Amino acid sequence: MIRFEKVNKWFGKHHVLQDIDFHVAAGDVAVICGPSGSGKSTLIRCINRLEPIQSGDIVVDGMSLTDKKTNITRLRAEVGFVFQQFNLYPHMTALENVTLAPLKVRKMNQNEADELGRELLEKVGIQEKASAYPAQLSGGQQQRVAIARGLAMRPKIMLFDEPTSALDPEMINEVLDVMRKLAFEGMTMAVVTHEMGFAREVANNMVFMDEGKIIETGDPERFYTHPENERTRLFLSKILSH
Amino acid sequence: MWSFYFSQLADSIPFFLKGLWMTFKISGISLVLGTILGFCVGIARAGGIKPLRYLLYIYVDVMRGTPYLVQIFIVFFILPEWGIQLAAFPAAIFSLTLYAGAYICEIVAGGIEAVDEGQTEAAMATGLNRFQRTRYVVMPQAMRTILPPLVGQYVLLIKDSSIVSVIGLTDITRVGWLTVQRIPEGIMVFGLVGILYFSICYPLILLSNWFERRLRAQGG
Repeated sequence: MIRFEKVNKWFGKHHVLQDIDFHVAAGDVAVICGPSGSGKSTLIRCINRLEPIQSGDIVVDGMSLTDKKTNITRLRAEVGFVFQQFNLYPHMTALENVTLAPLKVRKMNQNEADELGRELLEKVGIQEKASAYPAQLSGGQQQRVAIARGLAMRPKIMLFDEPTSALDPEMINEVLDVMRKLAFEGMTMAVVTHEMGFAREVANNMVFMDEGKIIETGDPERFYTHPENERTRLFLSKILSH
Repeated sequence: MWSFYFSQLADSIPFFLKGLWMTFKISGISLVLGTILGFCVGIARAGGIKPLRYLLYIYVDVMRGTPYLVQIFIVFFILPEWGIQLAAFPAAIFSLTLYAGAYICEIVAGGIEAVDEGQTEAAMATGLNRFQRTRYVVMPQAMRTILPPLVGQYVLLIKDSSIVSVIGLTDITRVGWLTVQRIPEGIMVFGLVGILYFSICYPLILLSNWFERRLRAQGG
């Protein structure tokens, strides 16, 4: 579903992604972790071309990102994206946040879009907040609206860029619960997170990145208990000690 | 003596109202056109491709870096030498529109740049194209920052429109100059001129303040 082939990316002279080969099969959940500045957020942002790549190729649902014939706007509609800072539209209600893309991109009529929006808000457990503005919602509620917005185009793939890092601890689980539900429904997902419990439960594949390279991949159980690489071990000992 | 001049001035009121109407027409038309120009240029500059952006920087900086008096002289006296002959009224509209557009462009581009980049990314990620992102996500948020200085700029531009009197248009200012030659009480005549400008500008100042307060109340 998502395939990276020898992907390289630079920010100026800084080589942020180095020869990345990486693959997520349909229905799989890949969890990407690593120290800050390791390139994990950049990696996930390349998948819907929020960041361009300089060499190699990324193929998403059969569409190549480097192929000039690929309609990037259409590709983005197939891929939901959830940001660390939520990035909800502050001038729209929760429902309007969810229905904007279906209305404007899918050209749904208002009734259909509202129905879809309410259904998705119910799925993330905040249907009663449909007419609230983002500023009136807690962080956890905002992130759940953001997930509903990401689902509104009926994407085949969902990407999560540190979805719980900006949340107060007591709100992390309400967001992870929604993500678990999606994973169990068979959504193809790539998630940048350090939430180990979540990773162990739903990930099919763990990816550890450092300094722009993929250092180690593997199934989560083995990854957490017997990491092969010294750097992975060091990193895990730091994040697991608290 | 004063009362004599006062009654004379009262007789000139229709003349002043004609001047007021001229100022109103010139600044009104130029501000509408200048706002359209300023938004187009501002949006293009905030999101545009590089060569276009540099071109727009040159336009804005030249307009902002030279006095409007010089600009209207160029349009009215120098362009005819290159075969572009404009009557006084269209020359005033044309030059004031270009001048207003430059300032409004700055305000619009600034408002757009103040919108968090994450908003554009979120809109992109759901498949909205550039026009849709600008129309539904970026501009509604940018407008809140744009409105107070925009209306403030209108006030400045209405006052700058007094310069069109130098190319012979009978706006409030020129009515003042003509009247003071008959009624040599400058304080009275230009007092009235001032009051007329103030009566146009003050409602706009209040409007700008109201936008400003609303912006603060929304925590913008």
